Amino acid sequence: MLIPRRVKHRKQHHPDRTGAAKGGTAIAFGDYGIQALTPAYVTNRQIESARIAMTRHIKRGGKVWINIYPDRPLTKKPAETRMGSGKGSPEWWVANVKPGRIMFELAGVPEPIAREAMRRAMHKLPMKCKFVRREGGV
Amino acid sequence: MAEVRIAAEPRTEFGKGAARRVRRANKVPAVLYGHGAEVRHISLPGHELMLALKVQNALLTIELDGNSELALPKAVQRDPIKGFLEHVDLVVVRRGEKVTVEVSVHVVGESAPDTLVTLDQPMLSVEAEATHIPTGIEVSVAGLTAGSQIHASDVALPEGATLVTDPGALVVNITAAQTAEQLEAELAEAEAEVGIVHEPTDEEQAAAAEAAPAEEGGFEEPAAEGEQDGS
Repeated sequence: MLIPRRVKHRKQHHPDRTGAAKGGTAIAFGDYGIQALTPAYVTNRQIESARIAMTRHIKRGGKVWINIYPDRPLTKKPAETRMGSGKGSPEWWVANVKPGRIMFELAGVPEPIAREAMRRAMHKLPMKCKFVRREGGV
Repeated sequence: MAEVRIAAEPRTEFGKGAARRVRRANKVPAVLYGHGAEVRHISLPGHELMLALKVQNALLTIELDGNSELALPKAVQRDPIKGFLEHVDLVVVRRGEKVTVEVSVHVVGESAPDTLVTLDQPMLSVEAEATHIPTGIEVSVAGLTAGSQIHASDVALPEGATLVTDPGALVVNITAAQTAEQLEAELAEAEAEVGIVHEPTDEEQAAAAEAAPAEEGGFEEPAAEGEQDGS
């Protein structure tokens, strides 16, 4: 699973969830992509599950790119703990995804297979998504 | 490439408020510049422009104040989610003038079995006449085996076009595909890490049910609870 090797601060504030994606809104590597339509924190487990779902469907035929990285830690206080006594311990690693962001890309397979592979991957993700294809124009 | 004729209107007010008013009227704010002429701020009909820009490097004939000028889209801003046009930069061109444009690469043909074709350079920069811009560049991978590479210098360009991209740039890379065993091992490891457990399919359950009585020498149905209670 994707985890940063080293971080400057072990516990961080929650990432900002407002606004749309500033970049990464166009397909850069593959022919097809999954675009986020709503904001969400995507955990490294969700990213890996989506990748596995996609790869299982396309089998050996294509190539998958992951364009997001879970570089933000989220903390959690233990159950039945009184408030205070400092911040909880890091529990998840998440990617802060904003609407418009292309999260996964795929190439080397026909469109019907890519659509189905990405549909399966979308079920593993915590936000509304859509299938996009590379555009020919400027 | 066919020219698309679009009637433009000059824009006199600027800023986001004015631009939004233009967009609400189903028009697209645009700017027209080039050849040392004064920059002209215009608005174009949204639907016609959207249809015209579906074609790569579409050559537009902009009709403005009784004059018409040839223009190429230089930069197109779209809404990242809805995809509608927000703003277009148009650069003035002249007939016979050479322009540098990005043209998409299309891979054709089937490579050798058990290979994976990766398009490393989906667009190539070429110089061509403004009125004869190629619509695409075809690269054939027919019969190529793993380890083959096609560089920009190997690509056959359409007539009248010259390459601007670095000739040594890798365009298509053909690598050996993972074997089924390698893929299965990699996925099994990834699934174990995430904690994914596969439920047995109906066929697997049926096979297991068939195998179980044969091993145990029979299958006894447990007595119903109601019968044991005597009620």
